[in-house]
Amino acid sequence: MDRKIYGLMAEFDTATQMVEAARKIREAGYKKTDGFSPFPLHEIDEALGIKRSILPYLVFGGAVVGAIAGLGLQYFVHVQDYPLIVGGRPFFSLPSFIPATYELTILFAGFTAVFGMLFLNGLPQPYHPVFNVPRFALASREKFFLLIETKDAKFDYEETRSFMQSLNPQEVFDVEE
Amino acid sequence: MENRNEFQAPQEINGWRTIGLGVGGVFSLIILAIAVLSPGMREQALRSWLLGYIFWGGIGFGCLGVLILQYLTGGAWGVVTRRILEAGARTLPVLAVLFIPIAVGVTSLYEWTHLPNDEIIKHRQPYLSVEWFIIRSVLYFIMWGAMVYFLNKWSQRQDEAGDYETQLKMAQDASKFSGPTMVFFVLVVSFAAIDWVMTLDPHWFSTMWGFLFVAGWGLSCFCFVVAVLAYLSDKAPMNRIVGKRHFHDLGKLMLALVMVWAYFNFSQFLIIWSGNIPEETTWYLRRQHGGWGVLGIVLVLFHFAFPFLVLLTREVKMKPKWLALLAIFILVLRLVDMFFLISPNPRIAVPEQELGLLQSFSWMDIVAPIGIGGIWLWAFFGELLKRPLVPVNDPYLPNAIEHGKGH
Repeated sequence: MDRKIYGLMAEFDTATQMVEAARKIREAGYKKTDGFSPFPLHEIDEALGIKRSILPYLVFGGAVVGAIAGLGLQYFVHVQDYPLIVGGRPFFSLPSFIPATYELTILFAGFTAVFGMLFLNGLPQPYHPVFNVPRFALASREKFFLLIETKDAKFDYEETRSFMQSLNPQEVFDVEE
Repeated sequence: MENRNEFQAPQEINGWRTIGLGVGGVFSLIILAIAVLSPGMREQALRSWLLGYIFWGGIGFGCLGVLILQYLTGGAWGVVTRRILEAGARTLPVLAVLFIPIAVGVTSLYEWTHLPNDEIIKHRQPYLSVEWFIIRSVLYFIMWGAMVYFLNKWSQRQDEAGDYETQLKMAQDASKFSGPTMVFFVLVVSFAAIDWVMTLDPHWFSTMWGFLFVAGWGLSCFCFVVAVLAYLSDKAPMNRIVGKRHFHDLGKLMLALVMVWAYFNFSQFLIIWSGNIPEETTWYLRRQHGGWGVLGIVLVLFHFAFPFLVLLTREVKMKPKWLALLAIFILVLRLVDMFFLISPNPRIAVPEQELGLLQSFSWMDIVAPIGIGGIWLWAFFGELLKRPLVPVNDPYLPNAIEHGKGH
């Protein structure tokens, strides 16, 4: 075999079959795995043992930073840098600072969510070997795919391939590098 | 679907009904007896009654509003909570009866009935007259009653229908009816909130007022529904209907309404604070001195900040018992919020005086809400027992049940 293999991929017709197969893959001890489905499938995270993303914590952090930035900016402008009396109110009038603080909180949280998601997903990624399998295009339509990478410590081409066949997939593909 | 009797509410609810009627009846009679027999304490008794009424009535009216809402938005949470919402909405006749003390005692409760020489009140006389107040209140109940009647009638027809066409048509009729009805519902709630609560301070006005109650009563309703659903969730038949994802969704809606409540309240405050006009600021000034300011901070921290931060986490929203605990905590704060809106207003007995928190607070402010609550819960659980706990023939029920398990 001179071609380099990235991993082995199995195709399934239904989400239920895929989740069952994913459980077996995990029980068999494979770690470097992934699943692909046309719609969000929360059970697959649990079945493959994928840990929950840290994104929510990043977003919360972004929101806190946004709130501090919003309040700090207004404090600096209205109290430190260029104090002006507006409507006879004190320089530091918290109620009038709340809307802008709130907006910056949302803005920073939103930016953290979008860019954090892209970063954590490793995007943008112009090339990925899984697309070398022609039928993989169906993952965004109606089919479900499970992948075991060659990097996995337990990976052995013959053994893994026959194991994946035993999961009753539609077909098992070699994913070329 | 399966046999309707399989979805009967657990019979142990009857025990709660007896307790509710017993405690509620005795406590309510104490308050009513004081209102009738003791002219000196009549105003306080009625004001405490109003507090309990606005709190518990708010859950009932909120159930009607959320019932309309879930027909409009669809979603699994609406299907599994529909029978709880319907039961809450069908307590309307009991709420109409509980309103009688307020209608009868209107001249002992509202200061505007005692200000014949006040220039501003003179100009508001066409609106603020006792006859008109009662006629309007009756109209609110008639309009709410029509909404409750139709939505429950179609839901019952759907339960009894044998053919799929009728079942689907009932669901569609209810959805079509709910669109325009939502507009009227919000208007009626706004008018009722203004008449019953805002006119306690007859000189003050706020255009935000109706929305404070639309959001507040909606939040009360969601908290109540979560508590009831968590109670039912580990008993037959609901243990095979509701799943953690239903609670997740309801928790998200609670979070949204906690934020909307804070948003509306802050909007009203910011506009009045920025305008800084004496006729508007009196309302907040009254609520800053004499201990009321502390209560205001308590509301900001525990009606908004604490539930907001807790509801951000997914774990709490997915655990029914934790979410129910938080829901009950918010309900207690809802009562405190209503106390904050109702109690500091001017009193007929001492018109010129601004009473502090401790002077305003009376033991009746606790007894009356328990009394009305007992009677209301008795009515609510009675209505809950009358029909299957889920809309058995709703075309979306299988999907809704599946959704709760995850996917």
